[in-house]
Amino acid sequence: MLKAYSDLHRPLVILLAFLLAFPVSITATDQRAEERAAMVTEQIIARGIKDSTTLAALRSVPRHVFVPAAQRPYAYQDRPLPIGYGQTISQPFMVAYMTELINPGPGRKVLEIGTGSGYQAAILAAAGAEVFSIEIIPQLAEAAGKRLAALGYGGVALRVADGYYGWAEQAPFDAIIVTAAAEFIPPPLLEQLAEGGLIVIPVGSPYYVQTLMLVQKREGKPYSTSLMPVRFVPFTRTSE
Amino acid sequence: MTQRLTLYRQIALFPVSAALLAFQIALLQILATSQWHHFAYLVISIALLGFGVAGTALALARGWILARASLLLPLLLCACAVTLAGSLSFIESLFGSFDSYLLFVNPGEALRLAVSALTLMLPFTCGALAIGIIFTSGAEQIGSHYFANMLGSGIGCALGLAGLANLPATLLPPLCGLLALLSAVALLPGSKRSVRGCVLLSLAGVTLFLFVRPGITLSQYKDLRKTLDLPGAEIIVEEPSTFGQLHIVTAPVLRSATALSLLWLGEMPSSPAVFINGDMLGSIPSVIGRKNPMNATTSALPFALASPERILVLNAGTAQHVALALGHGAEEIVAVESHRVLLRELFKLASEQNASVFTSERVTWHSEASRTWLARDTTRYDLIMLPDIGSSGGNAGLFALHEQPLLTKQALQQAWQKLTPGGYLSVTTWIDYPARSPLRLLATLVELLEETGAEPTEHIAALRSWGTLTFCIKKTPLDSDEIAAARNFAERWAFDTALLTGIADAKRDYYNQLQDTSLLELIDATLLKERRQALYRDYPFRIVPTSDDRPFFSQFLRWSRIDLLLEQFGQRTVPFIELGVLVAGLAALILTVLAVILVLLPLVRLSGEPGSRFRTLLFFGGLGVGYMWVELAMIHRFEFYIGQPVYSAALVVAVLLIGSALGSMLTEQFSNEKPQRFTTLAFIVLTTYVLTLGPILQSTIHFSLFSRVALAIAVLIPAALIMGMPFPLGIRLLNRTSRNEIPWAWGINGCLSVVGAAFATLIAVETGYSILLLLAAGAYFLASLFGLRCTVKDDG
Repeated sequence: MLKAYSDLHRPLVILLAFLLAFPVSITATDQRAEERAAMVTEQIIARGIKDSTTLAALRSVPRHVFVPAAQRPYAYQDRPLPIGYGQTISQPFMVAYMTELINPGPGRKVLEIGTGSGYQAAILAAAGAEVFSIEIIPQLAEAAGKRLAALGYGGVALRVADGYYGWAEQAPFDAIIVTAAAEFIPPPLLEQLAEGGLIVIPVGSPYYVQTLMLVQKREGKPYSTSLMPVRFVPFTRTSE
Repeated sequence: MTQRLTLYRQIALFPVSAALLAFQIALLQILATSQWHHFAYLVISIALLGFGVAGTALALARGWILARASLLLPLLLCACAVTLAGSLSFIESLFGSFDSYLLFVNPGEALRLAVSALTLMLPFTCGALAIGIIFTSGAEQIGSHYFANMLGSGIGCALGLAGLANLPATLLPPLCGLLALLSAVALLPGSKRSVRGCVLLSLAGVTLFLFVRPGITLSQYKDLRKTLDLPGAEIIVEEPSTFGQLHIVTAPVLRSATALSLLWLGEMPSSPAVFINGDMLGSIPSVIGRKNPMNATTSALPFALASPERILVLNAGTAQHVALALGHGAEEIVAVESHRVLLRELFKLASEQNASVFTSERVTWHSEASRTWLARDTTRYDLIMLPDIGSSGGNAGLFALHEQPLLTKQALQQAWQKLTPGGYLSVTTWIDYPARSPLRLLATLVELLEETGAEPTEHIAALRSWGTLTFCIKKTPLDSDEIAAARNFAERWAFDTALLTGIADAKRDYYNQLQDTSLLELIDATLLKERRQALYRDYPFRIVPTSDDRPFFSQFLRWSRIDLLLEQFGQRTVPFIELGVLVAGLAALILTVLAVILVLLPLVRLSGEPGSRFRTLLFFGGLGVGYMWVELAMIHRFEFYIGQPVYSAALVVAVLLIGSALGSMLTEQFSNEKPQRFTTLAFIVLTTYVLTLGPILQSTIHFSLFSRVALAIAVLIPAALIMGMPFPLGIRLLNRTSRNEIPWAWGINGCLSVVGAAFATLIAVETGYSILLLLAAGAYFLASLFGLRCTVKDDG
C-alpha cells in the first residue's frame, strides 16, 4: 500500500515536495484556476450537476496535473484524455456525475476500482470522503500515488492489486466506484458493499458514449439501475 | 522496340504485379493487428492511389519518361522493391507514437496518419509507374502485357494468403520486396553497369530488411495490448492465419462472464482469452457444470425452459455456449466455427490441459462458415444457439459495416427449419442506448414467427439482465410449465422478464431498472404488426430486419433522420454516429478529392478535343469502377456458397484476375475489335448474373465443396474473360488515335478502381449487393455508350 504523509507536518512536507518536484505545476495550477471554474460552470453545472460538495471539489483539484504533459493544453476540455497503458482520465462531466451520485462527504467510505491517473480519487478526497483506491497497473499506481501525495491528498489509500477482490479489510464501503469497464460486477465487491450502499459503473468506451449503471444493496439484495446519459431525453416521444 | 526487350518487359510485369498485391494483403493484416482496423483500410486505400499518381506523372511527363524508359524501369523497380521491404519499418517508427484511436482526441495524429499513408504510397507509385511505362511504350502488345499484369496480381493474391497462413506477417513485406526485385533482374540483360550496381544494392537492402525488421507495435488501446499490460499476462499461443493473427493469453486476473447476474456468489475462475488481430474474441471456458458462471447469465434461459438433447451452436468461437450446453447434459452438440487455426490451437491446448469442452465425445466440431452449414445441414435440433450480439455499452457503430450473415431474416428462416417440432432458437444481445440491436433482433424474430402463422407473444420468452437481453423462441407455443420455469429462472438470478405470456408490468422493470423505460414500450410496439410498421418508418434508427442482400445488422443510422437525432441528442454527444460508416465515408471523400486532382492534373498538358478526353474518362473510369464493384459483389455472393470467407474471397479475386488475364491475352487475336462490343457483352452477362446467380447458388449449395468450387469457377469465368478484354482493346484504340492519352487513361482506371472500392460498401449498405452488381453492369453500359462514339469518330 502506498500511504503517504499522514504526520502532523504534512502540509509543510507537501509544500516542499510540491515546490521541489513540480515547480512549474504550482504556477500553472494558479494560472488555470479560471479554466477550471469555466469548466465547472459550462460543462458541469450547465448539465444539471447541483451538489455543492462535488462542485467545490471539481473547482479545487487541478485536473491538468493528472494528465501527461502532452495532454495538458486539453485538460479542461469536455472530453476524456489518454494517460497511457490504454487508460483514460474520464470526461470531467462523467467524474462529476459519478461523484454526485455517491454523495461523498466526511464520514463516507469509498472504494475506487481503477485508480488510473488518481483524479477521481482526488475529487472524492477533496469532497471529504475516506478513499481507498485499487489499481492493477503498477506504473499507473505509482504515478498516481506521487501525484496525490504532492497535491495534499496523501490520505487516499492506494493499493496495487486485482480489483476483483476489493479491499476486504476495509469493508464495508458506503460506495464503490468501478472506473474500469467490466462485463460483470465482481461478486466480492457486492459483498463488501454496506447495506444501502451504491456501486457506480460507467458502461461503454470513454471515447464514444458512456452511460452509468448504479447498483444499490437493499435488504442484502442488489438492484441495478441503468442511467441514461443526462443530456438525453427519453426516446419514446419521437416514435409515438 | 525489339521483340526480346518486349519479352523481358512482359516477364518483368509478372513479379512486380504479384508483389504489389501480396503486399496489400500483408499490409492489411499488419495494420489491422497494430491499429484500429478501419484505419488500416483508410491508410491502404490512400496508398493505393499510388496507381493514380503514377498515371498522372506519366501523363504529365510522358515524353521525358519514355525517352529514358530503359534506365528508369529497373531503377523504379528497385525503388519499388526497397520501399516494399522497408516502408513499413519506416512507419513503424512513426506508429510507435502514432495511435489511430487517438485521432479524435489529438489532432496531431492526423498528420502522422497522412505521413504514414504517403509513405506507403511509395512502393505502389514506383511499381505502378514501372507498369505504366511498359503499358504505354508497348501499347500494341497491351493484350499480353495486361495478361502478365493480371495473372501476376492473381498469383500475388494467392501468395499473400499463403504467406499469412504460414509466416509471420512482418516477414511478408521484405519477401514482397524480393519478388519485385525479380522484375528488375528480368530487365538486366543489356543494361548499364550502374543499373546492375543499383540492383545489387537494392538486393542488399531488401535482404537486410529480411533479418532486421521491427515487430508489430500494438496500439495501447488494442485489447491484446491492454491484456498484456496486466500482471502475469503471458502469450501461450501466437499463430499466423489468413483469418487474422491468433493470440491466446493467460493471466491470473483474466475472468469472463457476459453480464453476470448480481446474485452470483460463486467463484470466477481465470480463463485464457483469445484475440484475433489484436481484438478480443472471447474467453475459453475453464469450468463446466454448476460452477460455470455462465449459468447465471441470461444466455442460460433455454436450459431453464427445457433439457435439449441435440444442440447446434453457431459461430462457436471459444466454446462458451458449448460449455453451457455440456454442463446442462446435452447428449449431442454440434459446434460450427469457421476459424480453422483457432480450432486447431484450441484442440491442441485442450489436449495439454485436459479441457473437456473440446475433448468431450458429446461435441462434434465443424470448421465451416455457420451460414453455409445452415444451408447444407439436414439434421434437426432441439436448440440452436446463435452467437451473442454487440458488446458492453455498445460499440459506437464500429462494426456498422461488418456483414453479419447469421442475423439476416433468411438465416433465421433456415435455422427455424432445422428445429425439431418442440425446438428452441436462442440469441443474446447486449442492450445499447438508444435501443437498436434488441429492436432489430426482435423485429426479425417476430416477422419470422408471423410468416409461419404463429402468434409471436405465445412463442417468445425474453429475459433482461443489467446488460443483456436473451430471446428464446419456441416452434410451438410455450406451455404453462415453461412459462413458470422462465419466471423461476428470472427470480433466481434477479433478471427482469422483458417478454413472457402473462407477465405483470411490475416484473419487467424490477431488479434491473431502466431510467428510460422506452425500451420496454418499443419492444411492445415491435410485437404488433401495425405499430411495428410505424416504428420502421418513424424510429430515428433503421431497425428493419436485415436480408442476405444487405447483411449489415449493426448498421442503424438513417441519414434522413439525422436532423432529428441532432435535435434529440445535441451536438456534444454523438453516440448515433456510426464510426465504421464515418471512417468509410471519410475515406471515400478523401479518395474522391485526391482522385479528382490526379485525374484533372494531366489535362493541363493533354492536347486534343475535350470531347475525346471526356469519352476516355468515362470509358476507362467506367471499367475501373465496374470491375471493382463486380469483384466486391461477387465476393459477397460466394462467401455463403463456399463457406470460408477468406478462401471464397481469394477464389473470387483469383478467378476474376486470371480469367481477365486470359481475356486480355485473347484480344491479341482480334486486336482491331471494337472494345465497346465487350463492354456491352459484360453489361449483358452481369445483368444476367443479377437475375440468375441467386437461384443457381441456392439450388446447388448442397453440392460437395469440390463441386461448389468448380461451379463457382465455371460461373465466374465468362464474366472474367469478357471483363478482361475492353481495357487492352481500349488502350490499343487510343494508341492509334490519341496516343498521349494512354497514361492518363491508365491512371483514371487505377484512380477510379480505388474510389469505386471505397464507395462499394456504402452503396451496399444503402441499397444492397444486387443493386451494386446492377450498378457495375451500368458502369460497363456507360463505357459501351462512350466507347462506341469514340470508335465511330476514330473509324471516321
